[in-house]
Amino acid sequence: MAPPLRLNAVAFISPQNHPILIRTFEKGDELKYHYVAHTSLDVIEERSQSNGPTKSNDCYLGLLYAMDEIAAYGYITPLKMKIVIALPLTDSVVRDAEVIMTFKALHLAYYHASSNPFIRLHDTPAGVGSAKWKRFRRKVDEISRAVGGGSVPS
Amino acid sequence: MSNQNVLVTYSAPVSFLASENWKQVLAALQSQLPLRSIHWKSASRPNLKTIQELELTLVPLDSLRDEHTSQVPVTLLEKPLLNLYVVTCEDNDLYKTNVKKQIKDWHSAISQRKNQEWIIVHVVGSDIKATDRKFFNMKSSVLDKIKADFNIDKRDRCVQLSWTAGDHSPVIWADLVNKIKDGLLSALDSSVSQREEEVRRSESQKQMPGWNFCTFFILKESLASSFEGVKLFEDALHQYNELEVSFIQVLREKNMSWFGSLIQPVDNDDSMPLLSITKKHYRDLILANSISVFDFRIYLLARQCALLNKMRRPSEICQKVTAFLGTFGRRLREVEAKLPEYFIESWIFSSALSVVDQCDAWAPTTELDGIQLARFTASKGELLELAKTQLDIIGVKVGPLPKKMPFATTCMEETALHPRQISKRSSTRRISNHEVMLAIGDKEAFYDLYCATSNRAIEMYVKAGRRKFALKLHGFLAALDIHRGRLASALAIFTSLPAHYAPHMWISLESFVLSRALDIHAELENPQDREWIHILLAYLRTCTNDMSKELASEVNKEKSVTQLVRALHTAAANLDSDLVHTDHPVMAVQVSGDATCSDDEDLALVNTTVSNHLPCDVFVDEINITLRGRDSERLTFIAKVDKLPPGQSTITLSCPSSSWGLYTLESSEVVMSRVHFQWQHTGTVATTLKRNQISLVRVPRSLRALDVQIRQPQQTELGTTSHLLLVISTGQNDISRATIKPTPPPGVQFNYSAARLETEGTGTLEASDDAIVLLDAPVDADVIISLPHSDASRYHTMKIGLNVTYNTQSSMGVVRTLQTSRVVAVSLPIAVNVEDFFRGKRLFSKFTISATSHQHVRISSTELQGARSLDGVKISGCRPSRPVVTVTPEHPVNFLFSIESSNGPVLEPLNLVIKYRILRDEVEALVRQTVEAVLSSMPVEKPQYGSLRRMLIDKLVAQLESDAEWVDAYRATGEIILPRSFEDGEDFQEPIREALAQCRPETASPCPWKEIKIPVDVPRMNIVTAAQITVQRSSLPGDIQSDQLPPIYAGQPINATLIFKTSFHWAEKEGKQRCYTMRYDVEERVKDWLLCGRKRGDFVATDGGSFAVPLTLIALHHGEITLPKVDVRPLPISTQASMGSTVPSADVCQVHEAEKVLILPRGGRSTYIVGMGGEYE
Repeated sequence: MAPPLRLNAVAFISPQNHPILIRTFEKGDELKYHYVAHTSLDVIEERSQSNGPTKSNDCYLGLLYAMDEIAAYGYITPLKMKIVIALPLTDSVVRDAEVIMTFKALHLAYYHASSNPFIRLHDTPAGVGSAKWKRFRRKVDEISRAVGGGSVPS
Repeated sequence: MSNQNVLVTYSAPVSFLASENWKQVLAALQSQLPLRSIHWKSASRPNLKTIQELELTLVPLDSLRDEHTSQVPVTLLEKPLLNLYVVTCEDNDLYKTNVKKQIKDWHSAISQRKNQEWIIVHVVGSDIKATDRKFFNMKSSVLDKIKADFNIDKRDRCVQLSWTAGDHSPVIWADLVNKIKDGLLSALDSSVSQREEEVRRSESQKQMPGWNFCTFFILKESLASSFEGVKLFEDALHQYNELEVSFIQVLREKNMSWFGSLIQPVDNDDSMPLLSITKKHYRDLILANSISVFDFRIYLLARQCALLNKMRRPSEICQKVTAFLGTFGRRLREVEAKLPEYFIESWIFSSALSVVDQCDAWAPTTELDGIQLARFTASKGELLELAKTQLDIIGVKVGPLPKKMPFATTCMEETALHPRQISKRSSTRRISNHEVMLAIGDKEAFYDLYCATSNRAIEMYVKAGRRKFALKLHGFLAALDIHRGRLASALAIFTSLPAHYAPHMWISLESFVLSRALDIHAELENPQDREWIHILLAYLRTCTNDMSKELASEVNKEKSVTQLVRALHTAAANLDSDLVHTDHPVMAVQVSGDATCSDDEDLALVNTTVSNHLPCDVFVDEINITLRGRDSERLTFIAKVDKLPPGQSTITLSCPSSSWGLYTLESSEVVMSRVHFQWQHTGTVATTLKRNQISLVRVPRSLRALDVQIRQPQQTELGTTSHLLLVISTGQNDISRATIKPTPPPGVQFNYSAARLETEGTGTLEASDDAIVLLDAPVDADVIISLPHSDASRYHTMKIGLNVTYNTQSSMGVVRTLQTSRVVAVSLPIAVNVEDFFRGKRLFSKFTISATSHQHVRISSTELQGARSLDGVKISGCRPSRPVVTVTPEHPVNFLFSIESSNGPVLEPLNLVIKYRILRDEVEALVRQTVEAVLSSMPVEKPQYGSLRRMLIDKLVAQLESDAEWVDAYRATGEIILPRSFEDGEDFQEPIREALAQCRPETASPCPWKEIKIPVDVPRMNIVTAAQITVQRSSLPGDIQSDQLPPIYAGQPINATLIFKTSFHWAEKEGKQRCYTMRYDVEERVKDWLLCGRKRGDFVATDGGSFAVPLTLIALHHGEITLPKVDVRPLPISTQASMGSTVPSADVCQVHEAEKVLILPRGGRSTYIVGMGGEYE
C-alpha cells in the first residue's frame, strides 16, 4: 500500500521555454519551485538530446532529478509543451503509472484551457496561465487535490 | 569474493601429470584463455545472454577439497563447473588394461557431483594422426573406445586434441574450446536454475513465521555474485534491484525483527566513504542478523554502484546515490534525536563528496563520450549541490546563514526539532567530518566551505551545459554575499543575472533578482545614475506581468513601486544626456480614431489612448507620436502632460500642419524629462509581425488651410528655360513668412533664386538659394510664383515634393508645416511633325499636329511667324474652316503654310505658335463657371460658399470622369449632359444639370488658351529640280488643234521630251555659282509603257538651267495612264579637302505628276473566210 502522491508544485512551460503557469502548493517556498521549474528545463533538454528521435513519441520523461527533498518529474507533450511536477522525496517507491496519470490529467487541463476561443494565445507568453483565466488554475488545483492533497494556495 | 573466477579442474594419469609433456599441454591450453563470446541461451530466460570474455582458473582436481560445508550459500562459482581428464594413450591394449580403469575411477568420482560437467580430452601427436584409421585399420581407435565406454548419453564429452609442442594454430583447439564452453554453460545453467529455485522457494515463505530476510538476502546475493563472476553484470544488478524492492516492501510492512535498529551510529559513520564495502564487515553483520538498516542500505547501494561501475555507467551511480541520500536522509530525520548533532547533514555532505571522488577515480573522464560525459558531470554537480544543501541546513541552524529565503525552506521548519528533543540528544558522540566540524565552529571556515562547494557544483554544471542550475547557485552565492555584507559583489551578480532569465520570460525569477538588486543598491546608497535607471526600468518591466506577483512577498509592493517611480522621475531629471528606452511595456500609446482639424487655424488633432500598466501615477512631461505618410513625410503630434494615472487615459495630441491624407502610426514616445520611452509601431519586420496590425490615421483636409498647387504656365516656348507655376492659396492664414521648398525629381534642378512673383499685391519674395521665401501674404489670396527649372524632358510627369513651413500673423510663435507632394505633367499634350515641299521659289510646309495622350486637344489657331527683320519672305497660311479644331488621339490635324522667299533661303527660324487647350480643362472651366453662376443665383451664405463650390466642382468632375458618353455630344453641340447617377443631395442638382446641358459654341468656355511656341527651321536645298515629260504633238498624226492632244491609241509610238529645270534658289549664296552633275532615271513601268530613248543619263545642273532629252513612249494598253516618274539624283562630288565625297542635297518634283494620258483602244478590221463545203466532192 503505497502512500498517495503529494504534489508540491506544478509548472507548465511553453515550447519556447516561457513559463505558462507555476502553481505551488507549499506556502512560502514559491521561489524554490520556480527554481525547480527553471532548472528542470536543463534536464529536459539533456534528455531530449540524448534520446534522439527513437523515443520521441514517449511523453513521459520520468524523474528529472532529486534535490532539496524534492523530486522533479517531467513530461513533454508532442507539441513540446513541458509539464514539470515536484513531489516530496520519499523513501517509498513512486510508481510511474501514477505519475503518468497525473501528467495526463494536467495535460488535459491545459488542453481544455487552451481550447478556449476567447484566449489570444500569442498575446502574452503566459497565455492561459495568466491570472485572468481562473478556470485553468482551478482545474490544476483540483488535480492536485485529487492526487493527494496539499494545501491549495488562495 | 566477487572476483572469483570460474573454476575448471583437470586431472590425468599420474605419470602423465608428472611428465614435461603435460606442462606444455597445460600451458598451451591456458594460452587459449580467456574464453570469448560465450552465448548462453537458457530455458528459463527469455533472451540470449552473451558473455564477451570469461576468465577461467585451471586447478588440479586434487587441490579442491570439500571443505566448504558451510551452510552459508556463497557464489555458485565456488565449486568447479567443469572437470577435464586428459589422456595420451594411443595403444588400444594399454588403454584396455590400464587407462580405462583410471578414467573410470575419475569418472565415477566426478559424475557424482552436482551441477558439474566433465570432458575427456584425448591428446594425440599431430604427426601420427593421419597414418591409419577408418578403412584400413579395422580396429577402432582409442578415442572411439573411450566414447563407447564413457559417453553414454547423446552429449559428446570426449574430444581429441591433435597437438604437438610448438603448434600454436588455434584451429586444433577450436573443438576443445567449444566443448569447454558448452560444458561450462550447461553446468552454469543447471546450477543457476537450481539456485533460482531455492531463492523462489525462500521468497514464497516470506509470510511464514521464522522467515528471515537476511538469509534470503545472502541466498539471493550468491546468485548475484555468481552472475558477476561470469561477467553478467546486468543480471547481477537485476538481482540487487529485486533485493532492494523486496527490502523496501519488507520495510513497509514493518516486519523488521531480524534487523537491528534503524541506525546504530558508530564513530566516523558520517564521514566514511559511502561506496566502500570493506569499511565494515557487512556480510558478517548480515549473517549475524545484527546489521542496522542504515548499514544494510549502504551495503546494498555500494554493491549496486560497484556493478554499475563495471558496466561503465558512472552517471547512474551518481543519480542513485543522490536519490538514496535524499530519501534515506529523510528517513534518518525520524530518529534525529538519537543521532549526534548534525549527523545527517554531515553524513550526506561527506558521502556526496566521497562518491564524487570515488566516481572520478573509477571512471576517468576521457573514457566517456560527449553525452555520457555531460550526464556524468551533471550528476556529479547534483551530488555537490546536495552537499551544499546540507551546508544550508547546518548554516541556518548554527547561525552563519540567515533564517530566510533562499537558504531556509519550509521543509526545514517542519523537521526542526523541539528544544525538548535536543536536550535528550545523546551527547556522547560527535560527528567526525573534520571540515564540517570546523565549519560549525568557525564562521569564516563555513563561508569558505560553502563557497568552495557551490563553486565546484557550478563548475560541474557549466561543464555539463546545465546553465540554469548554475544560475540558481549563483543566486545563492549572491544571497550569501548580501548576508556577509559584501554588497558590491552581490550587486554585480544580481545585475548580471536578469539577462539570463529575461530571454525566456521567466518574469518571476527575473523580478525577484531585480528587486534584490534594487534593494542592495538602496542599501549601498549608490547614486541613482543611469545604471540604476536601467535596473529600475527592467524591474518595472517585470512589474507589468502578473507572473511577477507570485514571488512578491511584500504586501506593500504597490507602495514601493510608487516610490520607485517617483525616484525614477527625479533621477531622470538629473541625467546629463537623453536616455532612450524602446518598447517598454509599462506604458503604451495607441491612436484612437482619425484625426480632426481645428476650425480656425491650421492644426490637426488626434486622440490617443495612453495605458499605464503600473498601479500608480507616472510623472511624465510630454507624449508625442509620429505619423508617416505615403512619401515617408512625417507628422509629429505632441501634447504636454504632467502625469499618467493608472489604467487608460485619453489624451489629445496636436500638430500645427495643414497636411492631409492617410498616415500610418510610425512611432510613439513618452518623455519623462531625459528618459524617452519609445515604441516603434511600424518599420522592422519583427515588430510588425508581433503586432500584425498597423494603425492607420486619416488626417482630413481642411479647406481653409494653406495649400500649394503646381501647374504648367500658360505660355510655353520650346528651347527656352522651362517654368513651373506654384499657386499658393493662403486660405485662412495671413502669412508673415513662409518658406516653400519644392523638391524636384532626380536630374532636375530648380532655380530658386530666379523665382518670380506673378501676381500683384500678394506679398513679396525674398531671395534665397535653396527655397522660396514668401513674406506677408494676405488671407484668401492665391499667390502665383513662377519657378524656372532645368530640362525635364525625360519625365512625362514630375513628382515634386513640397515642404512648406510658415507662421501666421495671428500666432507668430507657432511654426506650421505642410508636407505633401504634387504631380505635374511636363510633356506637351500635342506633338508636331513637319513635311516640306519645294516648288521653285516657294516652299510648302505641312504641320501635322497629333495628340500625345488620350486627351482631346482643342486648337484655336496656328500661326507661322517670322521675325520682323525677315525681309522678302511672305508667309501665308490656310484659312481655317472652323474656329476651333479638335485633335483626337485617332485623328491628327494638318496645317499647311506656304513660304515664299524672294532672296534665297530663309536663314532665321520661324516660330509656329499654337493656341490650344485640353478638352478636359475646357470642360472643367465650364463646370466651374456654371457652378458659380448657379450658386450666385441661389441664396447661399458667404462662409459656406467656398467649401460648397469646391465640393460641387469636385463632385461634378468626378462624375464626368467616370463616364465618357457625354464627350461626343459635347464636341458636336457644346452640351454637357450629366450622367444620370449624379446626385448632390441638395437642391443644386437640377439647376446645374440644366445649365450644363445648354447648347454653346466651341469657344464658349472661359478656359484660357495655352500658347506654345515651337521654333521651326526652314530647310535649305542645294538643287531643286523639276522634271517634266511633255508629249509632242508634232509626232502625232492629225495635228489639228494645237492645245488638245490628238487621240492616242494603244501601241502607237508617242514622241515626248523629258525636260529638267534646275534651280539653286534654296541653296546658300556661295553654292549658287556651282554646277552639279546629276543623273536621271525614268521609271520603267513594263505594264503601261514601252520606253525608247535614253532612259538614264547624266546632265549638268546650273542655277536656272534646263536640260531636255527626247523619248519615245508606246502605251501598252488603253485607259488613262499616268506618265512614268523620273528620278533625279545628284552625283557625289569629291571635295579635295576631305578626300571624301559629299552628295549635295537635292529635291525633285514631277511637274507632270498629276497628268494623265488618255489611250484609246486600237480600232481595226479582220476578215475571216469560212468554206461552205462545195468543193469537197
